[in-house]
Amino acid sequence: MKSESGLSPSATEGSGVNLSPVPLLEAVRNEGKTWAELAPRCGVTNPDPPWKVTLEATCQCLAVSGALPWLQRRRAEDRLGETLYSATPAPEQQVLALAHTMLSRGLVSEEDLARRMNTVRSRLEAS
Amino acid sequence: MQRSTEHDHPADAHDHPAAPVVDEVSEFEVLEIAVRELAIEKGLFTADDHRKFAEWGEQIGPTGGARLVAKAWTDPAFKARAIADGVAACREIGIDWGEPTGWGTPSDYMELQVLEDTPALHHVIVCTLCSCYPRPLLGHSPYWYRSPNYRRRIVRWPRQVLAEFGLILPPEVEIRVEDSNQKGRFMVLPVRPAGTEGWTEAQLAEIVTRDCMIGVALPRPGTTADETPVAKARHPVPEVHH
Repeated sequence: MKSESGLSPSATEGSGVNLSPVPLLEAVRNEGKTWAELAPRCGVTNPDPPWKVTLEATCQCLAVSGALPWLQRRRAEDRLGETLYSATPAPEQQVLALAHTMLSRGLVSEEDLARRMNTVRSRLEAS
Repeated sequence: MQRSTEHDHPADAHDHPAAPVVDEVSEFEVLEIAVRELAIEKGLFTADDHRKFAEWGEQIGPTGGARLVAKAWTDPAFKARAIADGVAACREIGIDWGEPTGWGTPSDYMELQVLEDTPALHHVIVCTLCSCYPRPLLGHSPYWYRSPNYRRRIVRWPRQVLAEFGLILPPEVEIRVEDSNQKGRFMVLPVRPAGTEGWTEAQLAEIVTRDCMIGVALPRPGTTADETPVAKARHPVPEVHH
């Protein structure tokens, strides 16, 4: 039997999310600098990155719209946090888990996400 | 990669040095923005919805917790229910930890333990690992709660740290420090202070400030969250009359 994602049910391990690594997110996980690394280097003492608030708002909007119900996202986040992203601290772990879950549920595609990340990166780096 | 600035201020535009900022764009930040923009583009929600939730999420205060405490003080059956199942008791006062709408929550965490103080037992909460906090009830945590100083020292020297907050407890009062974990949250239910007999829930809620529910202060008649602090001189200089 195959799930909607085309993977065997064992790959989801009851959490409703495919627990296989996603190359795009693996690159983020391996190359991305966490706030805990960046902030002290710059002398910033705020314990959370500014994007934590917008990440949480995204989760709320997805829940309210029904696109990604609250408890389903939490369960997926728990499973991913215990497995693939266990070595990544919060809130970086949370954004990885959210992106992973959205990919797993087909809400976005890896190609679209990669393309959009390039666009965003270029925009933020533009002088 | 370095974040560029929109424009440069002349060196003398401000008379103070700029606060430190993280000027490096991380891949996690890029990912967060990309996910959000794609979701908006695909119609899962609108940019305005998102802005409203972000604004609202930053504004939640401790009034929900104060109402829970006030109701527990006036309704013993509710207090028993709150201690038995904090999340269910929250729903009774309109705070649903699982529903992020209205008086809902930006929290992912669905376990709440209400810690009842007694005249012989005082609780104080901390998150030694990071900054876990009962946000649906208390809003955003204060800066000091997230500081390594508080997180490290409150578990080792609770009595001394509480004294630094101005809370000096008699030695016969036991202090218990509760450490939040990944999915569990705590809040303190303080002892109802003397001098509040006959007060309504609304009156009682006014004196239950954020710090009382963290456990670094005690509620007192006359001390409310919206009170403007005034430092009264202990030894005022005598007025000189000419």
